[in-house]
Amino acid sequence: MNNWPVIADIAKDVESGKVKAVDLVKEALKRIEDASEYKAVIANIKVRSLERAGYIDEQVRTGKKIGRLAGVPFIAKDNYLAFGADTTAASNILKGFDAPYQATAIEKLEAEGAILVAKANLDAFAHGSSTENSDYFTTLNPHDKTRVPGGSSGGSGAAVILGLVPFALGSDTGGSIRLPASFCGAVGMKPTYGLVSRSGVVAMASSLDCMGPLTSNVTDAGLILDVMSGRDPLDSTTIERDYISYTKLDIGLKGKIIGVIKEYMGDGLDGNIKANIQTAINNLETAGATIKEISLPSLPLALAVYYIICPAEVSSNLSRYDGQRYGYSAKDADTLDDSYELSREKGFGAEAKRRIMIGTYVLSSGYYDAYYNKAQTVRTKLINEFQAAFKEVDFLAGPTSPSTAFKIGENTSDPLKMYLTDIMTVAANLVGVPAISVPCGTSDGLPVGLQLMAPQQKDRDLLGLAKAFEDLNT
Amino acid sequence: MAKLTQDDILKLAKLARLRLTETEINKLQGEIGEILEYVEVLQNVDIKGLMPTYQVTGLTNITRPDEVRDYGATPSDLLKNLPAREKNYIKTKRMIR
Amino acid sequence: MSSYKATIGIECHVQLKTATKLFAAVSNDARAAEPNTLISHICMGMPGSLPVLNGKVIELATKAAFALGTRPQAFSKFDRKHYFYPDLPKGYQISQFEQPIILGGHINTSVEGKPKRINLTRAHLEEDAGKSTHPEGANYSLVDLNRAGTPLIEIVSEPEMHSAAEAKAYAQELYLLMKYADVSDVDLYHGNMRFDVNVSVSKTEKLGTRTETKNLNSFRSVEKAIDYEIVRQSDLLDKGKEILQETRGWDDTKQKTYSQRSKEDSHDYRYFPDPDLPPIVIDEKFISVIENSMPQLPDELRRQFEKIGLDSSQAETLLYEPEISKFVVEISDSHGNKTAKTIANWVTGEIQHLVVDGKLDWQQVLTNSKSLVKLVSLVDGNLLSSTAAKEVLVDVLTTGSDPQAIAESKNLIQESDESALIMIIEQVISDNQKAAEDVRNGEIKVIGFLVGQVMKASQGKANPTIVQNLIKKLLGV
Repeated sequence: MNNWPVIADIAKDVESGKVKAVDLVKEALKRIEDASEYKAVIANIKVRSLERAGYIDEQVRTGKKIGRLAGVPFIAKDNYLAFGADTTAASNILKGFDAPYQATAIEKLEAEGAILVAKANLDAFAHGSSTENSDYFTTLNPHDKTRVPGGSSGGSGAAVILGLVPFALGSDTGGSIRLPASFCGAVGMKPTYGLVSRSGVVAMASSLDCMGPLTSNVTDAGLILDVMSGRDPLDSTTIERDYISYTKLDIGLKGKIIGVIKEYMGDGLDGNIKANIQTAINNLETAGATIKEISLPSLPLALAVYYIICPAEVSSNLSRYDGQRYGYSAKDADTLDDSYELSREKGFGAEAKRRIMIGTYVLSSGYYDAYYNKAQTVRTKLINEFQAAFKEVDFLAGPTSPSTAFKIGENTSDPLKMYLTDIMTVAANLVGVPAISVPCGTSDGLPVGLQLMAPQQKDRDLLGLAKAFEDLNT
Repeated sequence: MAKLTQDDILKLAKLARLRLTETEINKLQGEIGEILEYVEVLQNVDIKGLMPTYQVTGLTNITRPDEVRDYGATPSDLLKNLPAREKNYIKTKRMIR
Repeated sequence: MSSYKATIGIECHVQLKTATKLFAAVSNDARAAEPNTLISHICMGMPGSLPVLNGKVIELATKAAFALGTRPQAFSKFDRKHYFYPDLPKGYQISQFEQPIILGGHINTSVEGKPKRINLTRAHLEEDAGKSTHPEGANYSLVDLNRAGTPLIEIVSEPEMHSAAEAKAYAQELYLLMKYADVSDVDLYHGNMRFDVNVSVSKTEKLGTRTETKNLNSFRSVEKAIDYEIVRQSDLLDKGKEILQETRGWDDTKQKTYSQRSKEDSHDYRYFPDPDLPPIVIDEKFISVIENSMPQLPDELRRQFEKIGLDSSQAETLLYEPEISKFVVEISDSHGNKTAKTIANWVTGEIQHLVVDGKLDWQQVLTNSKSLVKLVSLVDGNLLSSTAAKEVLVDVLTTGSDPQAIAESKNLIQESDESALIMIIEQVISDNQKAAEDVRNGEIKVIGFLVGQVMKASQGKANPTIVQNLIKKLLGV
């Protein structure tokens, strides 16, 4: 499906003059056009991308060095602020918003020569697991148009598998990179919290949001993450990263201990998915890894913890969308309260309102201790269990999701049912560890994702394991 | 914890500046009730001796020098999305004062 | 009505002396700026914007802690305080709720000579909101976010004041402390200090319902607003009415407080720790560096002024000019208390009047310190009378010339040589036999007349004190 060469090779070809950046951008834009029925993209960036491509080609002609991503076209989830098209976060409340600055992640990629060609669809404000919460339209799963691509970075996942571009950017607060990767058959990496700057990305839940790549192979994911990551003076929660490049992934499996998470492989798990995961584990074992079963007893609580902390932070972060400084502003408002209430009522979708209401509740006086503070303390319990587990094993493994891509409309009538899609992905966000979803066979023709996790700041090790697994299957 | 009443929903909507419709109020009452019931499971979890984790980085003292920095965006860039303005001011409905 | 006891607590917002805002590296000086020009994506609350703490405020908050008689907390963090208002771009203010940077502390005040210590509850860092204006007759308001994000320290007193005078003294002392600790410019005209006063009255031990009058920006308005509230509340209670717990404003033209909010006065701010900002940890090393570099604070200077021999009104006048206070202390260190006292008298007397009238500025005092010392020595050496010295003083400060040269050019140098004086005195006595006889007969008052005659004969150059003593000697009284 994604027949782009490996990103490093594309860049080399552009820098050597063998391939023109302008042609790559034109190809990407054409593919986007041709695949429009899948509705992966909200907006194209034609003018600016061709301008930048032209500039890069000119620089190459005069013998200048461009960078590790020279001329490589990419798509960013529309919650990344960027120049060249509106930034909407797929919400009506940000329709027409012309970003005055760009996300640091995008600046970093552009500094290495990458070219942003379009903004991908998402669940509005990244609230969701299917892109059905987009205020505009639902993206279709490339494998089956009656099914969702997963969410909230559904547009990004579909774009990569449709081969529109070599890589796409997503954000992951409770699984939003990994789930679409799993449903679409892509590689989706959520790095250690703080590895990639959140500056310039529409905030969802600040203590959980992670930025990362979706690609068709692990090597590309490593390269993109290597460029995107690092301390940012604009984001106080970014950490110092390890200095060995994430392109050095030949780590191998010998001596590596992988813990299969007992709580994720229970009796309720779909038989096909279980089989796929088991096969993957067996292959890893055959190839030299040691396999253990590991229990994290508080994991069944993770979703409840998440659905308190996440809405709480969401309700706070969405306070700024009030119709006064940017975004949708209700024209029929008479008073200030009218302006606030009508702008937010009309601008926000149902899921945003739901999360704002829950968040407001769990933070309100009288409920703060019982809900928010309690959830943050159970979070500590989870963190401790992960730390204990990583004393025994190097990595954790399990399925990314309890199901493969579900049908459009299947879970939309019951918010809680939709939330349960995240049951295996939220823990990594609560604890802050890196987690990656790699394709792991199919079930009834639909992709299954294997989720691997590592301790905080072991992103390179995690990519190395994922690479080794990928190599087994190729 | 008791289920939410209509009054509770209205109070929350007011705090969050959302003018919900009748349908929404009813729907949200049910949905939020269901979600709160789900997270109820945390009530009985033993957290003795544990402190809340508000941030997973463990970072402290992240500061910047007291110097002006050029962020790139000009005031004109920053004001270009204003829904209403008068000269360089942000224009809003009358603030009750 | 007089049986009501008033209880007052004050919350003061002090603007910190930084070059940039609390969480954005944008200039903090909005005094001459066009609206919405000192802004960034952070100040506007743009999507995706994140706060980054200005490191300087940790140093300033530590200095403030010492000025307030305490030490900073080793651990503090930021919380979000939520409410909707157009001058609050994020829909929440970043403040410190649960773990502020300062806890406790106190301020020593003095009301009508009586010392009173007011304890503090806490002090915390927070960002200021923007400024809003409401054009007359219009149905809209205008918001300027230049001020949004300016660093403030909010200092909260315990409700331990019981009169407007006590509150005013508190406010004034707080002003001096923040000024001397170099925490703030405390420019009241530009709103660097804003006072919110909580006032309640009661006839019993149980405190009455309190009102909060916000945004007072002068000592006078603090005093008047409190006096007004005490009377207003006492009147209401006397009539059997209830006091509404509410926020009020002060109308300086009408000289009254007025109600500002209606029903929803109880806010649910939904405080929670700000996930975007790591906590502040202050270690002992940092604290001692600041402690050792603290400048002299008002109380220490008051003790020194007392030693020099200045009265408390002089001390308070000097304190409002830290550079001059420092100068007076330096003079006493290098030239002794007497010289310092003489100079201080000139400062709080003649010089102050001229500064107030715009004829002199304080900088002139500082640049001419050597000449001032010399001028004192001329008086001490009886070359100049204290009256003549004051005449020379103004010229010294405005021209920077040598005081002796000025005195000579103005013909003010006194004649103190006794033999020369005796000659003149004898002549005067012989010319005024009756007066001399009156003095010998006990009418000591008449000496004044004789002294006057000697002054006339010497063209004002005679040292009157010496003349008087010589006359007494010669007449044998």
